[in-house]
Amino acid sequence: MAADPYATLGVKRDATQADIQKAYRRLAKKLHPDLNPGNKAAEDKFKELSAAYMLLSDPEKRARFDRGEIDASGTEQQPRRYYRDFADREGSSGYTSAAGFADFSDFAGSNDILSEIFGRAGRTTRRGRGADVRYHLELNFLDAVNGGKQSIVLPDGTTLEVNIPPGTRDGQILRLKEKGRRGAGDSPPGDALIEISVLPHPYFVRKGDDIHLDLPISLKEGVLGAKLKVPTVSGAVAVSVPKWSSSGRVLRIKGRGVPRADGGSGDQYVTLKLVLPKKPDSDLERFVSEWQPSDSPRQSMRV
Amino acid sequence: MQLQEFADRSHLDSSTIEAWLNAEWLVAHRPGLQFSEQDLARAHLIQDLKGDLGVNDDGIALVLYLLDQLYGLRCLLRDIQAMRITASERPH
Repeated sequence: MAADPYATLGVKRDATQADIQKAYRRLAKKLHPDLNPGNKAAEDKFKELSAAYMLLSDPEKRARFDRGEIDASGTEQQPRRYYRDFADREGSSGYTSAAGFADFSDFAGSNDILSEIFGRAGRTTRRGRGADVRYHLELNFLDAVNGGKQSIVLPDGTTLEVNIPPGTRDGQILRLKEKGRRGAGDSPPGDALIEISVLPHPYFVRKGDDIHLDLPISLKEGVLGAKLKVPTVSGAVAVSVPKWSSSGRVLRIKGRGVPRADGGSGDQYVTLKLVLPKKPDSDLERFVSEWQPSDSPRQSMRV
Repeated sequence: MQLQEFADRSHLDSSTIEAWLNAEWLVAHRPGLQFSEQDLARAHLIQDLKGDLGVNDDGIALVLYLLDQLYGLRCLLRDIQAMRITASERPH
């Protein structure tokens, strides 16, 4: 299974121990996973390289390998967790430093989100900063759309007030600055990251910033038209259903969708659904049986 | 984990750990010198640098300093990427 350790290190079979060490150091700098956080393949290659080096750097093992007494896989290593697995992810505490980009905070300029990110990351240094803590918060549909205050009870009994911005989406993560674990010494606490899930609503459906709603109407309202009260996420509004409205007709109520960060709002789309009375109505049956339709609603299907 | 367990698992003696703490190569969480799995992985990295890679002490301080910046930058980039994804999910 393992490749030829000489080939892995790129040395000849008669290389000296010093050559082998030199070759290993040259390659290890390129392949050590912690020095190559963005190179996913580095870890496997580095394992192979280390195995080859462990074999060839030990003169006794090397001699046994040369005589064919052991094979290249005879030096399997313990699995190991690399530093990059910890340092290279969001919310890693401790060592990461902002010294490489602190001066870029000007570049963020007027963009609120960018300057927030730079401001947070650029707080002199993250050394000793407390760990971020993740929470999960379930919101009912209207609380997420309209925003408002919610509280989370933490395991230690204290409560955390969370400001839900209007238009909060399912899966969104809210960050409360410095509400995480305490930092070491004078260092700032970590942040609290709150993952939001939004429960479905019995009749509102959200698509982007728009709200969709199926609205049942009676036969009479569909035929003659009507002025109806229609629920929206911000309260009921009066809507005119034009006369001669079939099922499937869509009415748009402008500006009654989900509030946006820029102050605007999406729209609400109302899909009409013609519904017959729940109980059979003999008057209606008699009336309709005398009515002769002039065309078939399935004309376009040619049946 | 406590100092004793950290020493066992990192195969370092306590005077070496003390020296690395003083040099700020490692930062333990006080009180009681608590170490994390991340500290352990960092200690292994320092051992790799010192041993197999032949980096001297001044070099290690420099490598760690630059690595901390690199990982800080990567965290920042990830934040920006997450922000762009969030922004592109919303129309307009």
